[in-house]
Formats: sequence, C-alpha cells, structure tokens
Amino acid sequence: MNILIVEDNKELAVEVYDFLCNVGYICKIANNCSDALEEVASNDYDAMLLDLGLPDGDGFDILKTIRKTKSKMAVIVLTARGELDDRINGLHLGADDYLTKPFALTELSARLFAVIRRIHGFTLNNLEVHGFLLQLQDYKVSYNDIPISLTKKEFDIFQYLVLNKNRVITRLQLTEHIWGDILEVNSDSNFIDVHVRNLRKKLDKHTSIDWFETVRNVGYRINE
Amino acid sequence: MKIKHQLAIFNALTRLLVILVLWLMLPILVENVVYRHINNGLVEKKKKFIDHLNKKEINDFIENSDDSTETYSQFSTLHSEFLVLSKITGKPHQKKTTFSNDYRIIEGEENEYRILQYHFTYENQGYQLEIGSSLSEVNDLTFIIRLFIIIVLVVILLVTFLADTVYIEYLLKPFYKIIDTKIRRVNEPEAFDHTPINAKSRDFRELDLVLNQMMDRIGELFKKEKQFISNVSHELLTPIALLKNKFENLLQNDSLDDNAIDKIAGALRTLDMLKKIINNLLLISRIENNQYEANEKINFKEILNDLQEDLQDRIEDKEIQFSNQIKHDFIFTGNKTLIHILIYNLVTNAIKYNKPEGSIVVEDGFNNGQYFIAIKDSGIGMNASQIEKVFNRFTRISSDQDGQGLGLAIAESIAVFHRIEIKVTSEINEGSKFTLLFPEVHLHN
Repeated sequence: MNILIVEDNKELAVEVYDFLCNVGYICKIANNCSDALEEVASNDYDAMLLDLGLPDGDGFDILKTIRKTKSKMAVIVLTARGELDDRINGLHLGADDYLTKPFALTELSARLFAVIRRIHGFTLNNLEVHGFLLQLQDYKVSYNDIPISLTKKEFDIFQYLVLNKNRVITRLQLTEHIWGDILEVNSDSNFIDVHVRNLRKKLDKHTSIDWFETVRNVGYRINE
Repeated sequence: MKIKHQLAIFNALTRLLVILVLWLMLPILVENVVYRHINNGLVEKKKKFIDHLNKKEINDFIENSDDSTETYSQFSTLHSEFLVLSKITGKPHQKKTTFSNDYRIIEGEENEYRILQYHFTYENQGYQLEIGSSLSEVNDLTFIIRLFIIIVLVVILLVTFLADTVYIEYLLKPFYKIIDTKIRRVNEPEAFDHTPINAKSRDFRELDLVLNQMMDRIGELFKKEKQFISNVSHELLTPIALLKNKFENLLQNDSLDDNAIDKIAGALRTLDMLKKIINNLLLISRIENNQYEANEKINFKEILNDLQEDLQDRIEDKEIQFSNQIKHDFIFTGNKTLIHILIYNLVTNAIKYNKPEGSIVVEDGFNNGQYFIAIKDSGIGMNASQIEKVFNRFTRISSDQDGQGLGLAIAESIAVFHRIEIKVTSEINEGSKFTLLFPEVHLHN
C-alpha cells in the first residue's frame, strides 16, 4: 500500500511517516501543494492523507484535481476543526474520511484500514488474532467457530486493539474511538475500563488471553 | 402605527380643519359677498326712484293708494321685492341710507328681506323710503352651498385620504423592501443581497447605499474573524497533534520503565485537555459567529434514544434511574450536531452531579403553546449564586469533578444560536432542573 502524506508541518509529517512505515505501509511525504500534485501525477498511490492548510494553496484544491482523474484513491482529510465548515463540505468534495487534529496515530491507522477496505470492495473481511476471528462485515466474533456475543462497543474496542496490535493504546485513544468527538466535554476515560473488563471476561471463557495486556495506568495492548 | 397611516391621518386631519374653517366662515362670506351685491341693487333702485321723484308724483303715490294711511307701497308679484314710501312726522332722525335684515308681511306672507331705509325731506315733509329684496332665495342658496360644500369636501376628504395612503405606500415601498431583503432576511453578511433597491426617493437610495456599505464592513470583519478562527485552529492544533503523535510513538518503546510510561501518559492527558479546551472555545466562537447551518429537521425522541444508548454505561455505573418521558413528536429545525451537543451536555451534567442511585427524568410538553424539554436530576443541586454563574465559561460547581467547565457555556451559545431559552431551577441536595423553551416559530404540529 502506497500512501502520500501531504502535510506542511515537517515534524508532524515525519511522525506520521514513521508510524505508518512501522505498520507496514510505503509512504512518501509532500510538504506543499505543488509537490503533492507532482507526486500524484507521477506515482500511483492507494491513499493520501491531506492537510488542508498548505503554504502554497488550499488542500481542497488538490482534492478537486485528484477527483477529476483518480477516483480510486482514498483520501483522508486531516484538519483542525475550525478550518472545515462542517464535515459534509469535506465529504462532499470527495474526501473519504476526515480526522481532526490532533488525532491519535492509531485512530488514523484504523480509519485508513476502513477506507482502503471500502475502496477495494470489502475484500478483506476478517481479522484473526490468537484463534479469534473478527468478522468485520457483520460485527461478529467467533473462536473455533463458536460465536461470541459482544456488544457494539466491545467489538469496536477489540477490533481497534487488533488493528493496532503490539501497540499500547491509551484509554483516551479508546474513548475517542468509541464515543467520537462528541465526548469532548464531560468525557471520562474510565468508562472504557468497564467495557474492556467485560470484553476480556467473554474472551477468557474460551482460552487464555495473557496476550491481552493491561499497561499500568495507561491503557491496553494486544500482543501477537 | 405605520408611517403611511400616520401621514394619511395627519393629512386628513388638516383637511378636516380647513373644512371646518370654511364652514364657519361661510356666513361671513355670504354676508360680505351676497349682501353687498343685494345692497348695490337696492341702492340702484333707490337712485332710480328718487331721481324721478317730484311733488306731484309723491302725492300721486300716496293719494292713489287704496288705504287711508299716508303710505304708498308696491311689490312684485312673487313678493320678492317691495317698495314702501311713507310720510313721517317730525324730523327724520337720519339722512343716511341704512341696510338691515327684517321680517315683513306682504299679503299675509312673512318673508325675510334685506331692507334699504332712506329718510328724506321734501317741501318740509319728511318721508321714509323702504326698498326690500327677499332673502329667501339667498337663504336657500346659502343652504344649498353649505350642503354642496359638505358633500364635496367629504368626498374630497375620502378621495385624498385614499390617494394619500396609496401614494405614501408607493413612496415607502422601497423602505419596506430594504427592511425585508436587506435586514430581516439577512442572518449573516455573506447572505447579504447587494443589488441596489430601485427607489424614487433619494432618501431611500441613500439609506440603501449606507446599508450596503455597512454590510460590507461587517462582512469584512466576519471574514477576518473566520480567518482568525481558522488560523488559530491550525496553528495551535497542529503542534498539539505533533506532540501527541510523538508521545504516542514514544510510548511504544519497550525500554521505557514504569515511571516514564506514567509521565508520558500524564503528558498525553494534559495534551488531551488542552485540545478539548481549544476545540470547545473554537466551538463557542464558531457558534457565536453563525458559522453553522440550521436547516436540519430534528426529532428529540431520536436524539434522546441515541444519548441514552451512548451513556448507558455511565448511567449503570452510578445506578441511576434514567426515565425518558418524551411524548410529543415535535420537529425542530436547527443544526442537529449542535442540538445533540446541547442535550448531551445537559444530560451528562445530570449524570455527573447526580447522587449514586439517583434519578434523571427527561420530559416534554407544551406551555402556552410553547414546546419545552425539561431535564431533571436528583443531584447535589445549586444555590442561587451558583445558578447565576452556571453558564459562565470555566465555571465548575464542584472541584472534584473533571472537565473544563465549558459544557454549559457551550450549551448556552447553542441555545442562543437556536433562539432556545434555558431556564434553570435548583435546590441544594434536591437536584436541578434545566428546561429548554423552544421558540414558537419552529412549531410544526
């Protein structure tokens, strides 16, 4: 998977770059509009992460240009909230998803996974971890063909951790992923523990899950 | 009262005044004009009569008369005029010609006459000459003129009143057009219509021009403000994103000891708080700048069901009885995301400040035709001074709750944006009640 990171803050671009390379993507960075357009014209990218505020132009212009020629490329708009009039505007112009800054890298990877999966016609439908099969299409989990009944939130947490396996996922990241931005005010990341506890109980019935780790006061990690 | 009515009424009143004055002046006019005319006629006749007069004639006049009095009288067939010559004894008291109005009976018919009286002496004998002209015609005429004037003036009054109203309305049309298209329908400067209003009066063209100029200035400010918000978002949130991602990457380092992990986690939490504060301030600022559309149909039943599902774990955690008693299918037009945030913030507050095993009741209804939703909790409550400050930014009721104290400030700006009124009643240790009163214009059923 080739991904173009269009971001004018070089340091931030490098952090995203490091993270995505680590996960297994092949990445390239463009720091401005003209570089980005040149890259898109000369190479085939599966996805692009697009910052809207670029020094030599508006990210939306890149989006418009791309949508005229490359309809299959996944575009995730990275933006500070105030820059977007509302989500509809961004999606209307052909972005597949958007993430508001500051975003968690693990959230980015989960969104990227979902967008790429959608664009490629949902060919990747299952995730597997230690014998547990996650059926992404219909939110079902099974162990050795025995179905496990999970709530939507438990499934989302499980999938998020599996997608970002071998990484520490903080409670904040999980909270944001499950409840989204609406929980900006009055958010309380401790409620995530309740769901994780229930999830583990359900999984633990089938096999030992010592790979499902609690990382001190910080969060959780699924090791492979 | 509208200016067109005021002007029309004023015009009508001044006309009425003119009519009254005319009405009162009519007798004087009649006297001056008509009487003078009659007087002239009478003087003319007197002159004719006197000029041909001699002794013989006088005696003829008086002796030929049928009656024994020393009087000669003559009158026209229809009694419209008469002439009386009579001897008087003694010296005439006056030599002058006098005019007077008096009633005279001629052949048993009483009429009002304008009478000329003239005393003269002829051969040491005093005579009095009276020539009269009937006033009945004149009186009839006066009456007819008065009636005519009344009718004509009333008609004029009505016609001009109507004409005034129509013309003033025509003149004021551009004014109302300006109010309607330039002011009332404009919620934000971008929606402002700059096409000049076609007005006959220069005043309105000027008003229009000045309004356009003012709107341009406001629009410029709005644009700057939006630009500023956008810049602040970008410039502040990008570094936060950078720090956050750096810490997250750092957290994956296996060589970290527990102490380091704790510190990084703490830094991430602080960054998260910073992000929330910035985003919430931006949210308030954008709401107050009217940067949101308000054209979605909102069903509160749906929103509350979503909320309840979302917050189920918190509700269960505190073992709170949550009772959703929304009964009406009230449809409100506004911004769904914002309304969601508004109700979300109120409900999460109701959970946050509730006692364990407390209750939350959400109910709706109509109060004098005005739809309301009330969110009532059995929480710690507030005193009067706390209620007063509850919508201020960075205000928290108790310090042991986390959060930034922006939830209700946001709720208030969303409410103001949608013209919703929030009423708060509360009692310490009893609970609080937040009531949303919706504007009636949005009533659909």
